[in-house]
Amino acid sequence: MSVPTDIGEIARRGGEFRAGGTDLMARHPAGPYVDLHDLHDLSGITWQPDGSARIGALTTVAELAGDERLRAAHPSLALTAGALATPQIRAVATVGGNLLQRNRCSYYRNPSFSCHQSGGDSCPARTGLTLYSAVIDTGPCVAPHPSSLAMALLGCDASVEVHGRAPFDVGELYGDGSDPTRDHLLGPGEILVAIDLPPPVPGERAAYHRAIARSEAEWPLVEAAARLVVSDERITFAAVAVGGVARVPLRLPEVEEALLAGETLDHAAARAATRCAPAAQNGYKVALLTGTVLEVLERAFDAARG
Amino acid sequence: MKIILNGVPTVVDAHSGDVVVDVLREGQGLTGAKAACRTGVCGACTVMVDGVPQASCLLPAAAAREREITTVEGLDHPVQRAFAVHDGLQCGYCTPGFVVEAAAFVDAWRASHGDVAPPRERIAAAMAGHLCRCGAYQGIYAAIAAACRGEHDGDAGVPARVEAMDKVTGRARYTTDVRLDGQLEGVIVRSTRAHARVTAVKVDAAHVIDLLPPDRIVRYAGQPVAAVAAPTRREALAIAEGAEIGYDPIPAALDDAPGAPVVYDEHTRKQAPSASEGLELPGPWNGNVHGPFTRASWRGRTAVKRIEAARGAADPRLVTGTFTTAVQVHTPLEPHACVARWDTGGDLHLYLSTQSVGLVAEQAAKRWNLPAERVHVTADHVGGAFGAKNGITAETIAAVELARACGAPVRVVFSRADELTDAGNRPGTRTTLELLTDDKGDLAALTVDAHGRGGVSVGSAVAVFARLMYGTAPRRLRDYDVITNEPPGTPFRGPGAPPMLWALEQAVDEVAHRRGEDPIALRRRWDGNRKRHALYDWAAALPAWAGRAAAGSQEGRFRRGIGVAAANWAYMLDPGTEIELQVEGDVVVARTTTQDIGTGIRSVIAEILRDELGLPAERVRVEIGRTGTVHGPPSIGSRTTTSVAPAVRDAARRLRERGLADGAKVVGRRRRDRRGYVTPIAVGGMALGRGFSGAVHVTEVEVDTRFGTVRPLRVWAGIAVGHIYAERLARSQCEGGIVQGIGYALYEERHVDPVTGTVLTANLDDYRIPGIGDTPEMTVHFHQDGWEHVNGRGVGVGEVSTIGVAASVGNAVHNATGWRPHDLPIRPDRLLEGMRK
Ligand SMILES: Cc1cc2nc3c(=O)[nH]c(=O)nc-3n(C[C@H](O)[C@H](O)[C@H](O)COP(=O)(O)OP(=O)(O)OC[C@H]3O[C@@H](n4cnc5c(N)ncnc54)[C@H](O)[C@@H]3O)c2cc1C
Ligand code: SF4
Ligand code: FES
Ligand code: FES
Repeated sequence: MSVPTDIGEIARRGGEFRAGGTDLMARHPAGPYVDLHDLHDLSGITWQPDGSARIGALTTVAELAGDERLRAAHPSLALTAGALATPQIRAVATVGGNLLQRNRCSYYRNPSFSCHQSGGDSCPARTGLTLYSAVIDTGPCVAPHPSSLAMALLGCDASVEVHGRAPFDVGELYGDGSDPTRDHLLGPGEILVAIDLPPPVPGERAAYHRAIARSEAEWPLVEAAARLVVSDERITFAAVAVGGVARVPLRLPEVEEALLAGETLDHAAARAATRCAPAAQNGYKVALLTGTVLEVLERAFDAARG
Repeated sequence: MKIILNGVPTVVDAHSGDVVVDVLREGQGLTGAKAACRTGVCGACTVMVDGVPQASCLLPAAAAREREITTVEGLDHPVQRAFAVHDGLQCGYCTPGFVVEAAAFVDAWRASHGDVAPPRERIAAAMAGHLCRCGAYQGIYAAIAAACRGEHDGDAGVPARVEAMDKVTGRARYTTDVRLDGQLEGVIVRSTRAHARVTAVKVDAAHVIDLLPPDRIVRYAGQPVAAVAAPTRREALAIAEGAEIGYDPIPAALDDAPGAPVVYDEHTRKQAPSASEGLELPGPWNGNVHGPFTRASWRGRTAVKRIEAARGAADPRLVTGTFTTAVQVHTPLEPHACVARWDTGGDLHLYLSTQSVGLVAEQAAKRWNLPAERVHVTADHVGGAFGAKNGITAETIAAVELARACGAPVRVVFSRADELTDAGNRPGTRTTLELLTDDKGDLAALTVDAHGRGGVSVGSAVAVFARLMYGTAPRRLRDYDVITNEPPGTPFRGPGAPPMLWALEQAVDEVAHRRGEDPIALRRRWDGNRKRHALYDWAAALPAWAGRAAAGSQEGRFRRGIGVAAANWAYMLDPGTEIELQVEGDVVVARTTTQDIGTGIRSVIAEILRDELGLPAERVRVEIGRTGTVHGPPSIGSRTTTSVAPAVRDAARRLRERGLADGAKVVGRRRRDRRGYVTPIAVGGMALGRGFSGAVHVTEVEVDTRFGTVRPLRVWAGIAVGHIYAERLARSQCEGGIVQGIGYALYEERHVDPVTGTVLTANLDDYRIPGIGDTPEMTVHFHQDGWEHVNGRGVGVGEVSTIGVAASVGNAVHNATGWRPHDLPIRPDRLLEGMRK
């Protein structure tokens, strides 16, 4: 078997791309699989002279979490990477696979159901268990977006490189959540090559938190990452992103603006609730959302004050 | 494809869709890594790839090319010995994964920090990708800390269990690891409908086994319809997936609404399986409601009269409440598994993951029409059971029938989805309780109405257990089953008791709270049990108890609370238990038809023999988990140790008298207790002994009011079961009972789709069992007096050690917040909602 190491050739092969396989192999798609792991150029973090960074799509989550320079420059991203999944999974899971993984809705993952995401034309979750559903309604599918890194990268104003296309904002990988048939908008045969991070913001402090029932290793009910710069007790820079609450990872400009306008952390965090439209069982996610945002704001603020 | 496997360059055969765990287990015969969940959650499949632990169930074989793979079989690390010595295992099924991960962690820790113990949180974070259903986490913490301190670099130390080294090295063979020549893999095809008459089953396989009941009606989604076999699991799954089942739909009952379609008619009611252990509760039927069973009541009419009067007078001494519990699933880490082989002489050989070797053999002989001696059952190691693996279940029927049809041995191993859907559960319940105290603050009357929801099963006996608590005050106890088209319940560690205690022990706490009386002092007044008095005194003297804050007195985000709950449990035994000792060379071999599901009975037998005969460890061998010897107990109803241990003593005495000459053989018996038993004759091998075992759990939690989470900090367990045969192993079982109780209290909940009846929590992401980080610090105190009438002076610990835990958590949450949880599990949404009110 010849191992293609040319990305163009790989992209032309029919089949499911496979990076770490931690999402793919749990879903057992029919195959064939096209392994990406020999595209060594896609692995690792490279730093540019202006301080910006390029993260290869095959870089593992564990590498992100452990990279000293990344922890200093983009702490929200490194903290998120270190908190997701479990050590064995982080060691294998890649950044690209994380951004392009499929959702965790228990209906979608159960072969007994068909739904918008699996070629059907309905959403059985809406008439069934909504305890874990998105609380911000953007379209027919209410499965929260699964990618923690997408949320953190959105908060870092990152862009992504897809083979054969000009770089674009990470948010455009997902759109506005109105398309219920997929978890990302890449077409078949499109390979995610890298993630580009802008230069760090001087003086930035960050925090990440996930609301879960157990202490570890649980998919977040709600998660959030905040980046703040504080000078003289005033917030001069704020970026807040949340996950677990909508079909797509979200930035919360309403919260960021309130912070920059000098509102208290409490008040600013409460603004996160304004977009929520709970279903039958997930009203509690509104409280968790404001609580999680407040938590990361407080922690980032305390860190920023030193 | 080439890999370096445990240091040896190896050429392996792998398909592009294969994952490493299958390459190792099926291709290389390295069965240490277990495929327990196949979704990356449980960690039982962990191996090292170039020194880094990875979940081999998701690791594409292609990713292992030219890499160095180290499995537990290739590991030789101090932490393995530490696990053995500190008893970081019970059934041992999770152990290979844990020790591989722990080895990498310990090395990295020592390299960067030196030989010091890491903080608990560091260990928890490192082990976050591993689940242990037995709840051996306290031992795991201790083992890893000791290995980090360098305490196990040299000599092995003394393992807490005789088979511990087999379990930490991956040598221990479980049923899922058995592979016979020419063996096929069987898979069960399950119903996708909650209620339907099956009109056709079309499967593309030479041999299809029918698993439908005689009326051809499936009554829940997930019910076995047929079974098929193929040379590999992949092929068998593909055949099963391609099966076409014709359904004639029948309206399904998926809730307890009075107008719900009827699940059983008069003729089919007898088919309903039972969720309780040997306890048949006769009662009338009314549509889908079976019951009430009221015979456990005592002066029921007086109780009702008093309570009605109190209600009419709005008596503040009347405490009422409705408490609910979710369906809890056993989900032992080793799934249900059976390898069946018919030999040329027509004998049936079963390798089975079971908690009742003897019963299975009996049932198999009857079902397949064989003389008892022609059924041979082997269960050398069993990866947990908790009640779900008693007697013949679907995987055994499928394997045996397929093996006969195919003329080859067949292995059937449940997937985690099978296990979480249709392999047993503790029924959900709704219990309404009214409790009245009199002027002196004594219990004056009690009513309990419990509705159990065990799907298509009956026998959710909950209210009956309120008869065992708090003296002889009048009480009316009514048990109902509400039948639905959902998977059946089965007995689960202390069946019926946890939901009853969840309601009763919180109501008693409420009485104490309203009276301004110490909850332990109140229980001590109400409870006539002397053994438990000793436990109350012990609990009341705990400094943490004395220092606890008044309920609801705390402000602020984090609030700590301490709660107590008492538990009472019957003493059961198998009076026919025997044990055979045979001297083989200079080794004494002990045999009986029992099995070690993680309780440690193998070690108890060995320890008693060593003591009684004054022999070193290597001269004693225990062979259990097999038929072909004398009668021994099933591991149900906390009866194994109390039945077996006295028989071992008796046998040892006889052997001493005979002398330890080669070939000498004796049989020891479980002699009667003084004053005999409550049940004059043993029914189904079971007798109800005299006296009740007791437990008092004191639990400290921290509530985070921002996120609605409850963190269990510490649990003190006072246990009164008399003589403790093996202290470390008994403690491990009690710790595991606490961990499972915490799961029940805080996380575990089976969800079923309300429209189709399909179980949604079909993987271990969605069905949440406690992890190592959720484990409180635990102290177990044994009160060993009070069982002098019992032969051996000790009774079982398995059930009494878990049934009251959830109630103690509920009372701790109330103490912390002033809000009393009524519904299990205490999810964040419920706590947030409760705190808002
Ligand atoms: C127990 C557990 C807990 C988890 N918890 C979390 C969590 O809390 N937060 C979280 O974010 N994730 C979590 N995950 C998911 C995990 O992070 C993802 O499975 C992982 O990141 C996927 O990466 P991978 O390299 O293994 O992807 P793969 O499984 O190989 O691929 C995933 C998908 O992406 C596609 N793909 C991969 N790389 C590329 C590429 N370069 N170009 C185009 N397509 C590509 C594949 O075709 C596939 O469809 C958890 C997983 C497990 C098992
Ligand atoms: S929420 Fe989305 S993934 Fe889940 S069932 Fe509905 S459409 Fe499918
Ligand atoms: S079997 Fe691989 S993690 Fe459970
Ligand atoms: S010892 Fe861990 S699952 Fe049994």
